[in-house]
Amino acid sequence: MIEILIQGAVSSAIYAMLAVGFTLIFGVARIINLAHGSFYALGAYGAYFLTSQGMPLVPAALLSILAVAAFGVVMERIFVRPMRTQSLLAVLMITLAVALAVEQGLFLTFGSEYRNVPALVSTKFTIAGVDVAGQRLLTLVAGVVLIGALWLFIQRTRMGSAILAISQDPVAAQYMGIPSDRIFALVMALSAGLAAAAGILAGPFLTVQPTMWLLPIIKAFAIVVVGGLGSIPGSILAALMLGYAETIVAYLISTSWTEIISVLATLLMLVFRPAGIFGKRAAF
Amino acid sequence: MFRDKIDLTGAVVFIAVMAILPVVFKNDYLIGVLTVAAIYAIWAVSWDLMSGLTGRENFGHALFIGAGAYTAGFLNTVWGFSGWWSIPAAMIVASLFAVLMGFPTLRLKGPYFALAMLSASVIMQRLMLIFWEYTGGEEGINGVEPLIDSQLSFYYFTLATLVIVTAGLLAVARSNWGLILRAIRGDEATCQAAGLDITFYKIASLVISGAIAGAGGAIYAHYQLQVSPALFEVVTSITVITMVYVGGMASIYGPVGGAILLVLLTELLRDFGEWRLMIYSVVLILILFFLPRGFIAPVWQRFKGSLGRSSS
Repeated sequence: MIEILIQGAVSSAIYAMLAVGFTLIFGVARIINLAHGSFYALGAYGAYFLTSQGMPLVPAALLSILAVAAFGVVMERIFVRPMRTQSLLAVLMITLAVALAVEQGLFLTFGSEYRNVPALVSTKFTIAGVDVAGQRLLTLVAGVVLIGALWLFIQRTRMGSAILAISQDPVAAQYMGIPSDRIFALVMALSAGLAAAAGILAGPFLTVQPTMWLLPIIKAFAIVVVGGLGSIPGSILAALMLGYAETIVAYLISTSWTEIISVLATLLMLVFRPAGIFGKRAAF
Repeated sequence: MFRDKIDLTGAVVFIAVMAILPVVFKNDYLIGVLTVAAIYAIWAVSWDLMSGLTGRENFGHALFIGAGAYTAGFLNTVWGFSGWWSIPAAMIVASLFAVLMGFPTLRLKGPYFALAMLSASVIMQRLMLIFWEYTGGEEGINGVEPLIDSQLSFYYFTLATLVIVTAGLLAVARSNWGLILRAIRGDEATCQAAGLDITFYKIASLVISGAIAGAGGAIYAHYQLQVSPALFEVVTSITVITMVYVGGMASIYGPVGGAILLVLLTELLRDFGEWRLMIYSVVLILILFFLPRGFIAPVWQRFKGSLGRSSS
């Protein structure tokens, strides 16, 4: 029971880190970024590469997060911005192509073997008689702290108000003199950094390989559909639901059936409540 | 069905070249490459009917392809049916998947359809690996029987299927039905206001598209003589989409050319095997930026235009 509680919280934290960034970009720029999973993969590979070159883990992790954030900004500037004027599907297409190119880039550089990202904390903790790897607890704590910090940033700062303003009404926000392109770049950097952090934190206990971007993006999509596209509280709640649902199914039935939950949840939600739990309405 | 004689002549020349090539070169390797090209062309035209015409891009065509191939694999090896049952059965199974996916997602605007298809195909691939006792896991299903023993005859069977499918879909695309699908691409709200049941049209086109892709999957299974979970991979869908983009969206005949061009190109670049998918993704990015209308269909239109001018 305690085990389910802790494992569920850890996977929820990872999912939330991915889904919050995914939904934030959607809220601000009205785009679905399929390269979001690539940020997660690049974060993990960055940490792996830098530590394998002899850099200590903490600076390697920070440098990797910064590099991925920069990659997010550059990708937005070169690939996404010209397509935004065309259509939503053009953006989907170009981000999918970028994601595949990143996967192939990783494959050509590092090969398809599993790589190891070293754990920040290697001790085991015992909570109420259950052994938990320190890295998992760290992931949980870091996830809560990072998302909390992001929440405060959005709610309490001028920049955050600008983000909210654009997501509420992009045209009006522009008339108020908010530089939407710059805010968009900022949001891209934030969400890319958050996804990279998730990759680095989860790297030690998940498999790090070129195709690792794919499942996270599918989970993030399911979470965002259930929570409501563009809603941050919704995606946090839905991340908790998916994280716990998967853990409970894994413990009570079999790990085989966990993968199907996200797709099932997506389809059922789209049938019965397409706007999601907290979505205002079907956003398009 | 053909708007003019030039189109008809072009089609006849194309079919003749495709039919004569293996006779001239008498090369098993070339026959294999052409068979694969024809199968990819079937997948690409079927994608184009739904996604090209209505503009609702399907990121998980691999779902139908894989479903068709696995249907063929199970029927033929596990349950011992004759190979000729594979194609109709694959079409039925793939249509069921199309209804299952289309009903929740195509009622909605926005990216739901594209992404739900992507998710479903990825999850199907995972399920094929997870339930390896039944599906053979990574290895897939081996020992699928060939439909026709002679490789050359099988190639002609595939080519004939491609010609029939393309002709049929061209007829659909140029009929009233195709007009409605194009109108949906233009403005869904107006179509609804005009009293069209757009959800029905979208789901029906997805079913046709899925059924044909499933048939292609079954043919592929009987060509490879095995079925592997790699068919469900995102890469399969992207390959098909790239072919359509190269050929020119919504033209139906363009994707056939795109598929054949890219399959031949892949064979020429065989030495760069590892780079194949990288090249595909870069080609896709370049096409999206510089040739959003594609390559084959616009070139053909221009060629036709120049013929018209010189003859008149």
